Amino acid sequence: MKPVTGRPRGDHLLYRVVWLGALLLLMLGFAIAAILVWGTVKFVIDHGLNPSLLGTIYQPTHDQFGLLPFIAGSLVVTMIAIVVALPLALSVAVTVIATLPRQMQMIRQILSGLVAIPSVVFGWWGLSLLVPSIRWISGRPGFSLLAGGLVLAIMILPTLSLLSINALDRVSVRWVEGSLALGATPDQTLGRLILSVSRIPLLEASILAVGRALGETMAVQMVIGGRVLLPHGLLSPGATLTTQLLTDISLLPPGIPGHYVLDFMALLLLVAMYGMVVLVERTRRWSL
Amino acid sequence: MDSKAPDLAVRHLSVRYGEQVALSDVSLDLEGGQVLALIGPSGCGKSTFLRVLNRLVDRSLEVRYEGEVVLGGIRILDPDTDLVALRRAVGMVFQQPSAFPFSVFDNVAYGPRLQGIRSSHRLRSIVESSLKKAALWDEVRGKLRRPAASLSGGQQQRLCIARALAVAPRVLLLDEPTAALDPLSTTKIEELILSLRGDYTLILVTHNLQQAARISDVTAFFRQGLLVEIAPTREMFTAPKCAETEEFLTGRYE
Ligand SMILES: Nc1ncnc2c1ncn2[C@@H]1O[C@H](COP(=O)(O)OP(=O)(O)OP(=O)(O)O)[C@@H](O)[C@H]1O
Ligand SMILES: [Mg+2]
Repeated sequence: MKPVTGRPRGDHLLYRVVWLGALLLLMLGFAIAAILVWGTVKFVIDHGLNPSLLGTIYQPTHDQFGLLPFIAGSLVVTMIAIVVALPLALSVAVTVIATLPRQMQMIRQILSGLVAIPSVVFGWWGLSLLVPSIRWISGRPGFSLLAGGLVLAIMILPTLSLLSINALDRVSVRWVEGSLALGATPDQTLGRLILSVSRIPLLEASILAVGRALGETMAVQMVIGGRVLLPHGLLSPGATLTTQLLTDISLLPPGIPGHYVLDFMALLLLVAMYGMVVLVERTRRWSL
Repeated sequence: MDSKAPDLAVRHLSVRYGEQVALSDVSLDLEGGQVLALIGPSGCGKSTFLRVLNRLVDRSLEVRYEGEVVLGGIRILDPDTDLVALRRAVGMVFQQPSAFPFSVFDNVAYGPRLQGIRSSHRLRSIVESSLKKAALWDEVRGKLRRPAASLSGGQQQRLCIARALAVAPRVLLLDEPTAALDPLSTTKIEELILSLRGDYTLILVTHNLQQAARISDVTAFFRQGLLVEIAPTREMFTAPKCAETEEFLTGRYE
C-alpha cells in the first residue's frame, strides 16, 4: 500500500456547493426582512409617524391606519386556540402514555397524518360546521373571532398533541417507577412527577403552537368575518393581522396611497414570530 | 405491620411474563431484620423477585404470578392488597440511579409530601434525618437546593436510599445498588446497609459475591428462575450443599 500523501483534490467541492446554497437561503431571508423594513421606512416618509397607527380606525386610503383591531384580533384568536387546544392535547398525550403505550406508534402516525392536512381544509370545516353552529346557538352571524379561534384550535391540536406526547414520553420509566415505589398513586405520579418534569418541553410545544396559530391566514380568513372595527366580544366578526394582509393585497396594490402599511403589518408579524423563536430558545436554556 | 422489622415467607411463587418463565416454584423464609443477598447469573429472576415484593411487577405487560408471599403478616399477592400502603412499607432502590430531576431536598421530601406532610419544619427534619441515615448529610448539607443530577453517581445512589427511608419503610429492596459505583462509594453503601440491619428487613441483589459474603446474613442462589439453594451466608460460602452453587461461587460456571 502506498503511503497517503496529501489530500486528494476536489474533496471540498460538495461542501462548497452546499455552503453556497445555505448562503443563498440566508441572503433571501435577509432580503425579505430588508424589503419589509424598506416598506416601513417608506410608510414613515409618506405619512410620518402617524398617530392613527395606535387607533382603531382603519381606512388606509384616507390616512387612517389603526392596527389595533387586527392586533387584538390576532391575540384573541391565538389565545382561544391555545386555551382550547392545550388541555385537549394534554389529555391525548396522557391517555396515550399511560393507557395506550402499545398503540403509541400508530397514534403518532395518525397524528402526523393530521398535521399534514392543509389549513384550507380546516377553514372549510369551520365554514360548513362551526359558523352555522355558532349562528344557531347565538343568533349572531356566526362569522366571529370565536369561530376563528376554534378553527385554529382544531388545526393546531394534532401538532400540539404530537409534541406533548414527545414531551411526556421523555419522562424516564425509572422516575415513574421510583415514584410508584414510594407509594405514590398513579394520579400523584402524573401530577407531581410526569407533568412537573415535562413543564419546560410542554411550554416549548405551546409556544410553537402559538407561533403556528399566529401565522395562520387562510383557515381564519374563511370564518372570521373580515370586519375592520375593534371587536366587541368573541361573537363579533373581526380580522387579524394576517387575514387583513390577505384582504388588502388586492385592495391596496403597490402605487395606491397607504400601500406601505402592509409592509409594516408584515414586519410586525415577522418580529412577533421571531420573538416566539427566541422564547423557545430561552425555555430550552432554562431546561438545561 | 408492627414496628419490628417484618418476617418474609414465600411459598411456591411462580412468575411468568407471557410465555417467559421468570420464577418457578420459589419458597423461602427470612427472619425480620436480616439481610438476604440474592445471587445468580443474569436473567435468573432476581429483579423479578424484588419487584414482586412491592408489586411493581404488576406494571409489566402480560405478567402472571401465583403462590403466596407473606410479609409481616400481609399477604401481598392478594388482589385487594392496598398497593400504596404496601409500597410505603417496602422501599426500593433501583440498579440505575433514579433520582428525580428535582433538587436534593425535593427528592427526599417527595415521599413525605405524598402523604400530605406540608409543614416545612417537619419536612426539613425528615429530610435531614433520612440523609443522615443514608450517610449523605455531611456531603450535601448546605447544598440541598442543588439539582440532584449535580451529585456524583455514588451520592445519587445514597440519595435514592435516603428518599426511600424518608417514608419510613420496614423493608428495603436494593437491586444491585453498587453495580455502577467506585470502591469508596461501594464501601459507604455497604456500611449503610450494615447500619440499617436489624431495624429493616433488607433484600439485596448483587453480582458481587464478596459483597454478598461481607454484608448478608442469608444468601439465596437462583438459576433460571429456580431457587437452587438458600443458606446462612457463611455456610453457603464455605460449604455449599449443591454442586451447582459451588460452581457458581468458584467462577467455574458457564
Ligand atoms: N417486563 C418483562 N417482560 C418480559 N420478560 C421479562 C420482563 N422482565 C424480565 N423478563 C424476563 O424474565 C427473566 C428474569 O428477569 P430478571 O430481570 O428478573 O433477571 P435478573 O436476575 O434481575 O437479571 P440481571 O442480573 O441481568 O438483572 C429474564 O429472562 C427476562 O428476560
Ligand atoms: Mg436485575
